[in-house]
Amino acid sequence: MSGHHISSAKFLWGIGSALFFLTFITVAASWVHFPSPWNIVVAIGIASVKALIVVAFFMNLWWDSKFNSMLFVMSLIFFLLLIGITLLDTLFRVDPVPSF
Amino acid sequence: MSDTSGVQDKPKHLKHYFVDSDQQFEASKMGMWVFLVTEILFFGGLFAAYIVYRSWYPELYIQASTELDTFWGTVNTAVLIGSSLTVAMAIRSAQLNQIKGLITNLWITISLAFVFMVIKFFEYTHKFDKGILPGEYYTYEGLAHEKANIFFSIYYMMTGLHGIHVIIGIGLMLFLVYKAKKGVFSSEYYTPVEITGLYWHLVDVIWIFLFPLLYLID
Repeated sequence: MSGHHISSAKFLWGIGSALFFLTFITVAASWVHFPSPWNIVVAIGIASVKALIVVAFFMNLWWDSKFNSMLFVMSLIFFLLLIGITLLDTLFRVDPVPSF
Repeated sequence: MSDTSGVQDKPKHLKHYFVDSDQQFEASKMGMWVFLVTEILFFGGLFAAYIVYRSWYPELYIQASTELDTFWGTVNTAVLIGSSLTVAMAIRSAQLNQIKGLITNLWITISLAFVFMVIKFFEYTHKFDKGILPGEYYTYEGLAHEKANIFFSIYYMMTGLHGIHVIIGIGLMLFLVYKAKKGVFSSEYYTPVEITGLYWHLVDVIWIFLFPLLYLID
């Protein structure tokens, strides 16, 4: 078949190693005890980089049809919409939740 | 009568409603991406619950996550990343027509997925023994927070749904091994391997976020 991207074994191991390394970095960052909002920012930042690496190079979106990338980006946009609109309610309640 | 030329060289895997193998492959892959979008939003609901309750009870999350063992969380993260790597290697083997390599890589992936579930099993039973159960079944006394059960309800829902995905993935890959042994896959046709690979990588991506959000809060 033509047009299928075949990654070299060396490349795949490189991506895997990068992910192992970033896992170590996330754990190490949690030992540093960044002050309050920054620990979350750092943890989510590293996780996002890892996720992007997986999506781009293991799931091959980097070489794939742009339409599939669009589908993926749309899912993120709708996810952010879900969180955004929910927080507009929950963050501004006078009495958060009565019993649960 | 319609033209019947080219019927002989039509590959066995090719459905009649596709022009050629490439079109069939691209259509399957796009269909899988649409499914993955629904998966992201499926887990998205749980992530939203996590975020809402964390914004309400930030101190609860910091206290409660001390009950989770960072060491085993890290091991499981490494296990899943390793399994993502072997799935990618399995797809590469299929693309190069190395069916033995494909089967070996699938077996390694299945074993790693199994290791993940065994570790998860011991994490769960350890908590069950202490009375850390979801919702109203929570009886653990070790956390000084009246809403402590909320964190663990979210923990069990998120890791539980993820675990179900891992178990389904194991089933799918056993099926792939069975098909590969029957000689179904080749460099000309490996669509189910590619599609299952996409699914497995997404399960890995979800865990990549679950790990810092649940285990690594100070």
